[in-house]
Amino acid sequence: MNFILQVILSFFSIFGFAIIFNIPRRSIFLASINGMIGWIVFFYIQKFSTNFILPPLIGSLIVGLIGEILAIYHKQPATLFIIPGIIPFVPGYGIYYTMFHILNNDLSNALSTGVESIFVAIAIACGVVVATSLTRFIRPYLERLLN
Amino acid sequence: MKTNDENFVINLAISVGKIMLESGAEIYRVEETIERMISSKIDSKVDVFVLPTGIIVSAKSSTDSITRLERIQSSKIDLEAISRANSFSRIYTQNSLTDEELDVLLMSLTDIPKFSKKTTMFFTGLAGGLFTGLTGGSFLETIITFIASLSVGLILDKLSKFKPNFFIKNIIGGFLIATIGVLSYFLFKSFGINLDYNRIIIGSLMTLVPGVALTNGIRDLISGELIAGGARILEAIFIAIALAFGVGIALQISFSFV
Repeated sequence: MNFILQVILSFFSIFGFAIIFNIPRRSIFLASINGMIGWIVFFYIQKFSTNFILPPLIGSLIVGLIGEILAIYHKQPATLFIIPGIIPFVPGYGIYYTMFHILNNDLSNALSTGVESIFVAIAIACGVVVATSLTRFIRPYLERLLN
Repeated sequence: MKTNDENFVINLAISVGKIMLESGAEIYRVEETIERMISSKIDSKVDVFVLPTGIIVSAKSSTDSITRLERIQSSKIDLEAISRANSFSRIYTQNSLTDEELDVLLMSLTDIPKFSKKTTMFFTGLAGGLFTGLTGGSFLETIITFIASLSVGLILDKLSKFKPNFFIKNIIGGFLIATIGVLSYFLFKSFGINLDYNRIIIGSLMTLVPGVALTNGIRDLISGELIAGGARILEAIFIAIALAFGVGIALQISFSFV
C-alpha cells in the first residue's frame, strides 16, 4: 500500500515540477516516469541505509542514465528528462533545518546539517555527471539499438 | 546570400545561445552550441566565453576578426526553449539552408509555447503538496501545503511586475510560506488537531529551492567552467540563504509573540 502511494504521489509531484519548468508536452509523461523510478530507488535506499550520500547519488545516477537513454531515443537534450527527476532529491529539508538550528542558537547542529546539504547537492550533480559520461561510452551501440 | 555572411551567422548563434542561457541550460552546452553553429558556416577560429550573465564570441579569420558581447539579464528554467534551441542548432549545423528555409526555421524560436498561468499555478501547488505527502505528511498537511505553495506562487507572480531582485523575492517567498505554515498549525491546534508545520514549510519550499541552478553549477564546475560554475553556485547559495532568512523571520516572530 505504502509502495503504491509512493509511486502515485511521486509521479504527480514530478509531473507538477515538470510543468513549472515548462517542459515540452510530448516529453512530460516520460520525464515523470523517469523521476518516479528515481524517487522509488532513492526512497528504498534511504530506508535501508544510514548513509546520507548514497540515496541521492544512486537516485540521480538512475535518473541520469534513464534520461540519457530517453534523450537518444527521442533526439532531445537529456536535461529535459533529468531536471524534473532530480528536484525531489534537492536538500530542501537540509536548508530548512540549517536555518532552524541557527534560529535556536544551536550552531554545531546547524553546521553539520548545512555541510550535509552541501554534500547532498554535490552527490546529485556527481550522479548526473557519471551517468552522462557512462552513456558517452555506450552511445554508439545505443543509437544503433534504438534507431 | 545572408546565410554565409559572418556577421549574420555570429549574431544568429549568439541569439540561440542567449535563448538557451536564459532558459537555464548548462554553460558548457551553450558554449558548444554557439561554437558548432559558427564553425559549421564560417572558416575561422572561434572562441566562445560564456558566463551566467553574458556571452562573448570572437571569430578570427586571416583578414580580420569580429567580437561580440551580449549581456544576459535573468534566467528562468524553460525546458521547451532549450529543446527548441537545441533542435534548431542541430538542423542548422547539419544542413546548408536557403534564406527562406532559415526564416521558416527561425519561426520555431520566436514563439515558444508556454503553459497557461492557471495550469502552472495549479501544478506548482500540486508539486509542493504531493512532496509533503511523499515525505510522510498526512492528508491534511498535503492539502495545506498545496494551498501554501499555490498562494505563494500567485503572490510572487503578482509581485514580479515590480521586478524585485532575486534576494528580496525569495525572502518574501520564504516569509509567506512560513507564515501560512505556522498560522495553519495554530488554527488546527485550536481544534485539537496536531500538524507538523516543518513538513508543510519544507514541502512548499521545494517549489522555490534553487535545485537546478545548484546542480547545473556543480556540473559546470566538473566540466571545467570554473568561473561560470562558481557564479551559478553562488547564486543558488544566495537564493537558499534568502529563503532561509524569510522563513526564519516568520518563525522567530510567531514564536516570540504567540
